[in-house]
Amino acid sequence: MAYSYRISGLTVACDFPLAGAVATEPAVTPDVRVRLADVPQTLEGGAALGPNWDMFGEDFLLRAPRLARFLIRGGREIVIALEDGATARDASAYVLGTAFGILLHQRGALVLHGAAVARGGEAIAICGHSGAGKSTLAAALCRRGWALVTDDLCALSPGDDGRPVIRPDGRQLKLWQEAVEALDLGEQRGEAVLARFEKYFVAPAEVATEATPLRAIYVLRESRPPLTDGIEPLPLPDAMHMLDREAYRPGLRLKMGVRPELVAQSAGMLAHVRMFELTRPRDLARLPETVEALLAHWELAAA
Amino acid sequence: MTGSAAIIWLASFPKSGNTWFRIFLANLAAGENGPADINDLDERGGIASSRHEFEAATQLDSGFVGHDDIDELRRDVYHRIAAEVDHQRWIKTHDAYVMTPSGRPMFGVAGTRAVYLVRDPRDVAVSFAHHSSTTVDRAIELLNREDGALCASRTALAPQLRQKLLGWSGHAASWLDQSDLPAILLRYEDMRAAPEARFAAALAFAGRDATPDEIARAVRHADFSELRRQESEKGFAERMSRTAPFFRSGQVGGWRAALTAEQVARIEEAHAPMMRRLGYELSAPPHER
Repeated sequence: MAYSYRISGLTVACDFPLAGAVATEPAVTPDVRVRLADVPQTLEGGAALGPNWDMFGEDFLLRAPRLARFLIRGGREIVIALEDGATARDASAYVLGTAFGILLHQRGALVLHGAAVARGGEAIAICGHSGAGKSTLAAALCRRGWALVTDDLCALSPGDDGRPVIRPDGRQLKLWQEAVEALDLGEQRGEAVLARFEKYFVAPAEVATEATPLRAIYVLRESRPPLTDGIEPLPLPDAMHMLDREAYRPGLRLKMGVRPELVAQSAGMLAHVRMFELTRPRDLARLPETVEALLAHWELAAA
Repeated sequence: MTGSAAIIWLASFPKSGNTWFRIFLANLAAGENGPADINDLDERGGIASSRHEFEAATQLDSGFVGHDDIDELRRDVYHRIAAEVDHQRWIKTHDAYVMTPSGRPMFGVAGTRAVYLVRDPRDVAVSFAHHSSTTVDRAIELLNREDGALCASRTALAPQLRQKLLGWSGHAASWLDQSDLPAILLRYEDMRAAPEARFAAALAFAGRDATPDEIARAVRHADFSELRRQESEKGFAERMSRTAPFFRSGQVGGWRAALTAEQVARIEEAHAPMMRRLGYELSAPPHER
């Protein structure tokens, strides 16, 4: 029995239910297969490129401690071997996170490390490193009537008019308990994303189901001196540079080899998108100020 | 990298002069273009508990890896960094010299050395309380807890990876008693008294060339009056407190005016053997307390 999903525009068939993903109708020929099977400890002939991962040709092997080994092949398949005591349910968090991020890289997608939310048919992406507060800010905007497009992997592709579109990642928000409490989302809180961790699925009130044009990218920064609170536009050359830095695992993208046509494609897309640095305190108690500033900025830009 | 050490661990309990040392290094690098900007230190080696660097190296979402499993992988990450860097990196750390769950020393990889900075725990308590906007009593608790740690939250993603401190004595013992890596001990008080000589000793230990003139200039540019001037003008990115400046006095012995007799006793009772070993005079011999 296969479980079917639509993730970042790709149809996915999986041997087991993916926790936190929204099930869809099965595709005749799924783009991506996810299955449980044996996976070697290392890649034969592969250069060991990381402390817990190897890459060889179209194969990428990732070892997640005490959880599973993930063999990600040619952008089409994720094979999972569970370590002793781990369950397929535990592996879901990695399938939807790191493993799918690597798979999207293998397919040459431009993937931002960010959450995306939409209103009035247009989306904004909120980028930043792990722990920067992307999902928390996205959740706060969802409380204000925005629709969730993606949680932390934001794959861009060119739309019909050349503007980039974001395809929904078909999953719920993931929030740490402190953020759940700060946003008063206790009643929407679902299961733990992964056993032993105080991070939970939270179902947003509204979810985007269609590809949504991306209008702006906000890069989160903490307002530590000499930086002060505010939203500043980035000039195009800086934005190009910033886009590389805010990609999902940019170092990996480089090691996989960045194809020239993709660089040209991202430059073309960026011409349609405005990029801003959003500098604000990381303090959860001051999140409402950030939300107000962002909403005002959006209204102003729309006017 | 061959020849001199690839990585120098700049290790200390928090509030023991680590930042001052890194600012000295930044000024050494800046040479006659100094004084270096105190807000531009990160690119010069970083901190061992950086979540971002860990994720870039392992491709893992660090929020879904347990603290102990992260320690296990950190050793492999450091091993790789030491093997691959093309210039010497001085990496700050507040972690104690800990063993991974499988029993390997987390920092003990070939090609690395350690500069261990230590400061009178009574001054550390006062400084930590100011830095973290907490009470002196809470600071003493962190000094005295043998299972103390930073960024150990399980309900939120802390900005850095979990760092085991093991208490002030445990921290010092972990770095000073290990025999995997060559290590040098620098007392903060000695560095304040004779900065040129102590910095020169640390650089020689690391195999880093610098002339006496270069060292003297870097010490001048890292003087507390200069650091306070920069902080009051532009602020300091590593400051945590909203009220207390990061660079206060850098004073030696300030605890005499700031701690109660009871607080002093609590610190000295917990740390007397290590304080004696490191030359920190107890305010009263144990039999009189």
